Amino acid sequence: MSIPESLKSVENDQAAVLRVFHRFSLGQRWEHTIIIISTLALFLTGLPQKYRTATWSQHLLSTPERLNFIQQVHHIFAVLLTLEVAYHLFKGLYLLSRRRLSSAIFPDWQDISDAWQMLRYLLFLTKEKPRFRKYNFEQKITYWFLFFGIGIMVISGFIIWFPIAVTSFLPGGIIPAAKLAHSTEAIVAAIFVLIWHIYHVHLERLNLSIFTGWLNERDMREYHALEYERLTGENAESQSTGGSQ
Amino acid sequence: MASTRHRCYFFLGIACVILFLALLSVTATVQASSARQDATPTATPSQPEGEPDPRLSLSDEYCLGCHGQPGQTYELQNGELLDLYVPAEDHNNSVHGEMGYACVQCHRTVGEYPHEAFTAVDLRDASLRLYQACRFCHQTQYDQAQDSVHSTAFANGIREAAICTDCHSAHAVRRLNDPNTKERLPDTGIWAAQTCAKCHSAIYEVYRESVHGSALIGEGNQDVPTCIDCHGVHNIEDPTTAQFRLSSPQLCAKCHTDPRVMTKYGLSTEVLNTYVADFHGTTVVLFEKETPDAETNKPVCYDCHGIHNIKHVDDPEKGLQVRENILARCQVCHPDATANFPDAWLSHYIPSPEKTPAVYYINLFYQFLIPTVLGGFAILVGLDFGRSTLNRFRERRQKRPASETHETAEQQPAPAEDNSTPNNEAGNE
Ligand code: HEM
Ligand code: HEM
Repeated sequence: MSIPESLKSVENDQAAVLRVFHRFSLGQRWEHTIIIISTLALFLTGLPQKYRTATWSQHLLSTPERLNFIQQVHHIFAVLLTLEVAYHLFKGLYLLSRRRLSSAIFPDWQDISDAWQMLRYLLFLTKEKPRFRKYNFEQKITYWFLFFGIGIMVISGFIIWFPIAVTSFLPGGIIPAAKLAHSTEAIVAAIFVLIWHIYHVHLERLNLSIFTGWLNERDMREYHALEYERLTGENAESQSTGGSQ
Repeated sequence: MASTRHRCYFFLGIACVILFLALLSVTATVQASSARQDATPTATPSQPEGEPDPRLSLSDEYCLGCHGQPGQTYELQNGELLDLYVPAEDHNNSVHGEMGYACVQCHRTVGEYPHEAFTAVDLRDASLRLYQACRFCHQTQYDQAQDSVHSTAFANGIREAAICTDCHSAHAVRRLNDPNTKERLPDTGIWAAQTCAKCHSAIYEVYRESVHGSALIGEGNQDVPTCIDCHGVHNIEDPTTAQFRLSSPQLCAKCHTDPRVMTKYGLSTEVLNTYVADFHGTTVVLFEKETPDAETNKPVCYDCHGIHNIKHVDDPEKGLQVRENILARCQVCHPDATANFPDAWLSHYIPSPEKTPAVYYINLFYQFLIPTVLGGFAILVGLDFGRSTLNRFRERRQKRPASETHETAEQQPAPAEDNSTPNNEAGNE
């Protein structure tokens, strides 16, 4: 196995060498940034509309002009998010057609057994933490939960945005259904990002790879042992404890 | 030259007024003889005295000696004839007659015959002067009426705008409330509608055909609203303002959320809740609370159900259960709406599997998803946090002296010290 170009070396001033591994392309990092900005803006402008009966929301939306303004902001970021989703999907389709779409993010049986082993580990039934590939099952859960979550937001969002166009070919009951889905999924996605995603990228360990593009060697060994070994041909457990004890 | 003369008159006038007021306060008992009738409805003369002047305690018979004869008239300045005939039974059967009030308790300034000359430009002017007498006893209602649309109209120069006597009549004043319970008498509702109809006849005709009006006028039903239930009695509000519009749902809700009234007719009391829960209502209620005078085109109850012409929901022409009818309503604001569109509105239903399956099942789905899936994730995160905290704690205790070694990992791997970790999956991609 050759050393891929995704393996970079950075010298630090203590003359020791800390290896870092390329993880996300610039495009992926931009996509993530756009998603953070747009979902945050959408959440903040959607929430007062959802909780219209609450006092704090009523202060914000007190006049028709303000309500209109906040909806306009919501729509602008909705378009931004939609463009991002469209880009993501088309890029995926393009890569697929070129047979270059990486399979790394797609779940497989290994993820099920990883998750099972992780559960046993967390319940102190085993001392071994599962050893992960490029994306561990937790990251795949993040990706797919938000993939479908944002999908629901975009589809239901357009349905409630253009109710007349939609009901010209679909039954009218779809409008309140989409509104309910939009309204509830917003909360579900927010809770999910807050407890699951933020925990895994920030609290469990500070992982800035989606902003910097690279992951350091220690995290690679500990959290992506199999990927580390695939890239370097080295044993991830060497030197380090592997974090399991 | 002219101006000095004017000034002269002006001071003379003031002096007269002061003299007059002084006289008034000194001889309070003769107050009733002052020219009370000169007051216009918008002017606010001092509080009239409650008790009539004893000098004026003439019997009704004395008055009826002349005014009981039909055919007596009095020519006003513009030539209109004021009918001086007052049928005795009009007064006797009135609420005032019942309670023994005498003519002179209202007509305080006339005195014995021949009375002071009564001057009025025309018939309306005569009414406007005479109705001030109501204030002797009914100042509160008079004040309320000052805040009404009728007073506003009057101030804008519409002399026909209703005053007390236009609705209550001058002599045949009806008893409207039960004196003991203060509840409205059974006929008052119909009377009120017919009274408003004297001017607002077109609306009355529409109302009479409506679900409310036909029940009231046809059946004497006491549960339905008559004009004054929605518009108020003396302080009738302008119903064309944004404020009235935004607060109108509460008006309908007064009865339509009252189970005592609604159960009799099998009507839902959830109409307000379901309206507020749906897209139009949330906004209307929000504005009502925060900016009650905001202009909004979001529909309130009457935009769909009608105002004076409210019909049964299954009425073939207007009823909203008929698809074409509700679509027509939607199209007022959503001109491009098609036949499917009205179903976007839940029609005041609480989502149920039969009527609105999509909403119902999506709701069910999330009720299941949130506790199980999100709850499961939360538990996993909690466990993960627990275990990694424990690990970190142990690690720090064990490895403190050697902690630097693996912080600066070298290119070359150090000898393996692995603990039976399965290596066999490595590089299998
Ligand atoms: C993460 C993304 C999003 C979040 C968190 C979000 C959140 C919300 C929330 C909480 C509401 C209020 C719902 C209610 O009244 O119960 C709402 C309304 C709405 N959202 Fe979103 N939304 C998102 C994305 C979108 C997208 C992508 C679109 C359109 C393509 C969209 C269009 C709308 C529309 C049309 C409304 C109705 C009110 C309005 O006209 O602004 N939303 N959103
Ligand atoms: C609405 C907010 C967010 C959404 C929808 C979102 C979405 C995603 C998705 C779909 C991924 C790919 C799956 C994964 O690798 O875990 C990802 C990765 C990542 N996100 Fe976010 N994210 C959000 C907010 C944040 C925030 C606030 C942070 C920083 C504190 C963050 C940091 C990261 C990092 C570091 C990764 C890469 C994880 C890895 O090493 O694979 N994200 N995010």
